[in-house]
Amino acid sequence: MLRINDLHASIGDKEILKGINLTVRPGEVHAIMGPNGSGKSTLSAVLAGKDTFTVTSGEVRYQDEDLLALSPEERSWRGIFLGFQYPTEIPGVTNVNFMKTALNEHRKYQGLPPITAAEFLKLMRQKMEIVEMDPAFSSRGVNVGFSGGEKKRNEIFQMAMLEPKLAILDETDSGLDVDALRIVATGVNRLKRPDNATLVITHYQRLLDYIVPDVVHILYKGRIIKTAGKELALEVEQRGYDWLIKEL
Amino acid sequence: MNDLYTLASGTPNRPRFNCRVPLENSRQLFLVDGLVQETGKSFSFRLQKGQVMEELLQVIAVRSDEGPNELTYSNELFFGENTFGRLLCCAHAFTQGPVSTQETVSIQLEANAQAEIIVMQHEHNEATHKTRFVVNQAAGSQLKMVFLSLHGASIENNIEVNLQGEHANCDLSGLYLADGQQRIANHLRLFHHVPDCQSSQLFKGILDDEAVGHFSGKITVVPDAQRTDAFQANHNLLLSQQARIHTDPQLEIYADDVKCSHGATVGRLQPEELFYLRSRGIPKKEAELLQQLAFAYAVLEKIPNEILRERMMEMVEKRLRGGC
Repeated sequence: MLRINDLHASIGDKEILKGINLTVRPGEVHAIMGPNGSGKSTLSAVLAGKDTFTVTSGEVRYQDEDLLALSPEERSWRGIFLGFQYPTEIPGVTNVNFMKTALNEHRKYQGLPPITAAEFLKLMRQKMEIVEMDPAFSSRGVNVGFSGGEKKRNEIFQMAMLEPKLAILDETDSGLDVDALRIVATGVNRLKRPDNATLVITHYQRLLDYIVPDVVHILYKGRIIKTAGKELALEVEQRGYDWLIKEL
Repeated sequence: MNDLYTLASGTPNRPRFNCRVPLENSRQLFLVDGLVQETGKSFSFRLQKGQVMEELLQVIAVRSDEGPNELTYSNELFFGENTFGRLLCCAHAFTQGPVSTQETVSIQLEANAQAEIIVMQHEHNEATHKTRFVVNQAAGSQLKMVFLSLHGASIENNIEVNLQGEHANCDLSGLYLADGQQRIANHLRLFHHVPDCQSSQLFKGILDDEAVGHFSGKITVVPDAQRTDAFQANHNLLLSQQARIHTDPQLEIYADDVKCSHGATVGRLQPEELFYLRSRGIPKKEAELLQQLAFAYAVLEKIPNEILRERMMEMVEKRLRGGC
């Protein structure tokens, strides 16, 4: 589904990703862990198409296409979804209008007619339930005045609406209390299907108590320095990252 | 019943012009080249003491081919004591070629009168329209005005407000959109002559191409006008390198117990917002449009009538999409 080969990316003169290799198959959950500043968020932003980063070499194949040649919206239509670490507030654009526009663009790409207002509201209500979101949020500005937990729920709600094939969750656990974490993680698990994949980017192990990964990668200074099964996350939780860095 | 109602409720000839904002449950009155279509006289609107208008009155001022190239006219809006009235004043030009209009609008609100006035300026690329609004408000009166400057070669609004009676409240807001080589200016002078009045000004503009905008707003609070509450903000979005806005907010305060604030900003579309929208599958152009509509919304939401507000939003969207 996703194959990253020797990916290098910079911001300005500073190289942040220094040769990433990663393969994700349908149905898999991958966790990417690493200390602050290792490049985790850069990797997710590059995969979603954020233009503040420049890819200097390497390639990313996604469903047999050159992902890097596509605009952020084209990636979205093909099933890439980025759950933001810091979801953006957009005053004046209501959640309803935002999601309706987004969903209809996806439908247009799939050759489907725009969704009717009634169908849309029904769908929206169903998907809001998945993350226990108050329907009152739908008429509010996107993320405006939302608490940290509400913003993250809104991310998973959007994911539920768009049904991505590859979801990249960038530090979705940051700033969440235990209840919010459980709600968000339950939401992600309910959206899991054999034909989609999830890339969970996290600093801590605790999210992985809820979203169990098939593979864990440790990212350090722009490279993946270790890849193993889910037990690696537990080891990192107990011993920190230092022993891994020393092994290099 | 005043003259106006007689005029508007009669069975006039079908107007020759199709209104761009046809509204159900509203009365329409056409001013052709500054004169009332049915009577050929100048327009004067008067609500006598205690009168409450249930419907919206839409005054549609059009420039026709028969009018002079340079036209000057004045009209008067009078709201007597304890009255309530709502007006939508639209300006259109159904002419070919350049025309210029100079208009003076006197607005008088007597004690405890309440008025809502929406001004929509929607002419064409060769139309120059300069309007001077002179507002006088007596004690306890409440005025809400929304100015939508959507289209014109050059639009200039000079707005003077005199708060002359205690507890008067004046809420002005404006949205201006300009592209190509259009010019748009809003000059506001707001005088707090007496204590305990409130005023608010929120003007927002979106300028593209080589458009140039001007905003100046001055609030004057005289020495005795204690407990004045005055607010002013001017925010601008520039969509191109060449678009310009000159903004000049001013406060002149001679009283010591007042609450006054002002602020002006000039900015561009936020790249973080844009990426967020695009990452959900909204194409760049559409995402930028959403951002602009969101920017405009703070002014549009001031329109009290929901149907009218939605119509205006549609018009703004159409305009921002490059139509007119």
